[in-house]
Amino acid sequence: MSASPLIEIKDLRIRFHGDDGRITYAVDGVDLSVANGATLGLVGESGCGKSVTSLAIMGLLPKQSAEISGAIRFDGFDLLKTSDQTLRDLRGNRLAMIFQEPMTSLNPSFTIGDQIVETILRHRGGSRRSARERAIDLLRRVHIPSPERRIDEYPHKLSGGMRQRVMIAMALACDPRLLIADEPTTALDVTLQAQILELMRELKAASGAAIILITHDLGVVAEVCDEVAVMYAGEIVERAPVDELFSAPQHPYTVGLLGSIPRLDHRAEQLATIEGMVPNMAQPPAGCRFAARCPFVLDACTKAPPPLVEVSPGHLSRCIRAPLERLVS
Amino acid sequence: MALLEVDGLVKHFVAERSLFGRALAHVKAVDGVSFSLDAGKTLALVGESGCGKSTVSRLVLRLIEPDAGKIRFEGRDLLSLDAGALRAFRREAQIIFQDPYASLNPRMTVGQILTEPLALHNLAPPARRRERVEEILRLVGLEPRLARRYPHEFSGGQRQRIAIARALAVEPKLIICDEPVSALDVSIRSQILNLLRELQDRLGLAYIFVSHDLAVVKHIADHVAVMNLGQIVETAAADALFAAPNHPYSRALLSAIPVPKPRAKRSRIVLQGEIPSALNPPPGCRFHTRCPYVVDRCRSEMPQLVQDGIGHATACHRTSELPSSEAIVPTDGGFSPVLEKLVAAFSGGPEAVRGSGVSSLGTNPAQP
Repeated sequence: MSASPLIEIKDLRIRFHGDDGRITYAVDGVDLSVANGATLGLVGESGCGKSVTSLAIMGLLPKQSAEISGAIRFDGFDLLKTSDQTLRDLRGNRLAMIFQEPMTSLNPSFTIGDQIVETILRHRGGSRRSARERAIDLLRRVHIPSPERRIDEYPHKLSGGMRQRVMIAMALACDPRLLIADEPTTALDVTLQAQILELMRELKAASGAAIILITHDLGVVAEVCDEVAVMYAGEIVERAPVDELFSAPQHPYTVGLLGSIPRLDHRAEQLATIEGMVPNMAQPPAGCRFAARCPFVLDACTKAPPPLVEVSPGHLSRCIRAPLERLVS
Repeated sequence: MALLEVDGLVKHFVAERSLFGRALAHVKAVDGVSFSLDAGKTLALVGESGCGKSTVSRLVLRLIEPDAGKIRFEGRDLLSLDAGALRAFRREAQIIFQDPYASLNPRMTVGQILTEPLALHNLAPPARRRERVEEILRLVGLEPRLARRYPHEFSGGQRQRIAIARALAVEPKLIICDEPVSALDVSIRSQILNLLRELQDRLGLAYIFVSHDLAVVKHIADHVAVMNLGQIVETAAADALFAAPNHPYSRALLSAIPVPKPRAKRSRIVLQGEIPSALNPPPGCRFHTRCPYVVDRCRSEMPQLVQDGIGHATACHRTSELPSSEAIVPTDGGFSPVLEKLVAAFSGGPEAVRGSGVSSLGTNPAQP
């Protein structure tokens, strides 16, 4: 494979038009790329635009209310310009997604086998019998015990961890090149979470698919990602290789996030907090969107939106005060 | 004397009834749980979904009635209280729920929500109630003028503060926190954790903290009880448990904690198999179906909690034979030196940064 990325997002902007005529700027100029076989973590808090970005890639945003501009290049297509027909051919095939809540993303009135087989037949064709065999094989690959029997069960008979594995099996049915996982372990217990993360690593090693992992859990990011993009209020505020992000973050928001999680090896009386609230995205602030909550703020921060600049090779920050080490040395 | 003593608590829910109402199957949600909690301390109940941790927290308040066992609060037998005495007890023990969106009445203003407990328990004369509401709001870090607003006007973190304020209104000695931060974003989560801790220091509150987030538990708890299928399998001081978990189940749980450090040193124990149903828990040790160290005895004989003499109790037949628990809990190494300084500066607020002379770009006058 050449160095050209598998998926490249350029200046993605998503606006929602509300019923009352208000416009919400959910995603505002996001650039992202993921190489073949890489895992990118997309982190940020509720409402920062991370899930909306992934839905845009999948072409799942409502056409009536979402206004999308920019480009999403994947495999020779611009996903924002392709026909619905092509998108349907890509989704579930070369482009797959797993969601947070496996109970609501499986159809309760069909067996899990039916649902996996449907995917295989839609994209690969072939006989129902061979599709069923492949489905059993997939269930085995995601470590579902006695898959020959389980395949005929309905989703409600399975536990949360099992359902998530079925979702993964379904996503893998057609050997996707890109897998988008939106909070895949958030609804699961820590023991199951460990199983699913292990499984994702294993499958990535076997298939070489690229993964975009959307999560708010920095622990999960540290475990499975090669690179991380931090989103805040519709923008990417920092992007870095995973080691660097955790050891020397270059955006105050990332610092706040990292400081706010309790550590096992560091007993702090007080955890860091990020004071204030996320800005109202119907009227995003003129300057840096984090300025109102940032302890490192300068007057200049509120005047003009800071650009995303490279602080060190491969490490980008949208902060005019970066490199931040300067502030504390 | 302990504030709360729980002894042999049992609660079986009827899962299925015959045509004539006879119970056919029971979910053994809580099956012989004992612990005690001192005033001003925090006990965390941890375990996977369905292990009975939330049921225990509700039994302790008598929100549901236990089938057997004893609960003593300051020496009083809770289970013998009549309705009036029970209502009086509710003044001393309160609960905060996971979902701050569901636990506040959307039709009441914050002021009304907070006045209700004051009126119910007759804690402040009507004329003074408003003042008291303002006091409580300030205590949880909300502005008093917000009392006129409705819950929907608040963010998740603020709602959780309101729920905490409501619990505090009656000046309780014990607050049950049932996954109080699970539904909140990371940065909000830390605010609520800080608040809970600060309130504990100021008011001498005891907490029972139910959580599945073990890093949070390590941060907030003095004592931890690990539950599996309705039973406590291990209980110890938080530091002792995280330093050296004994029970194979605790080891698996702790080894799986995702830590915010890439390539953290860990020897993860990935449990195979599914959590057995509480409807029909396995005989013997209830963990034996998933235990990597299982022997025949575990399948037939239920292990009892055995103390090691320094308050660390484990319910496992093989406690003494298990390999060392070294390096089971992943190490996140704390903060990197740079991050440590950045976080300190971040938490110091604008004053700290300016005060240290770093607010002007590039220059760095060496003053503290």
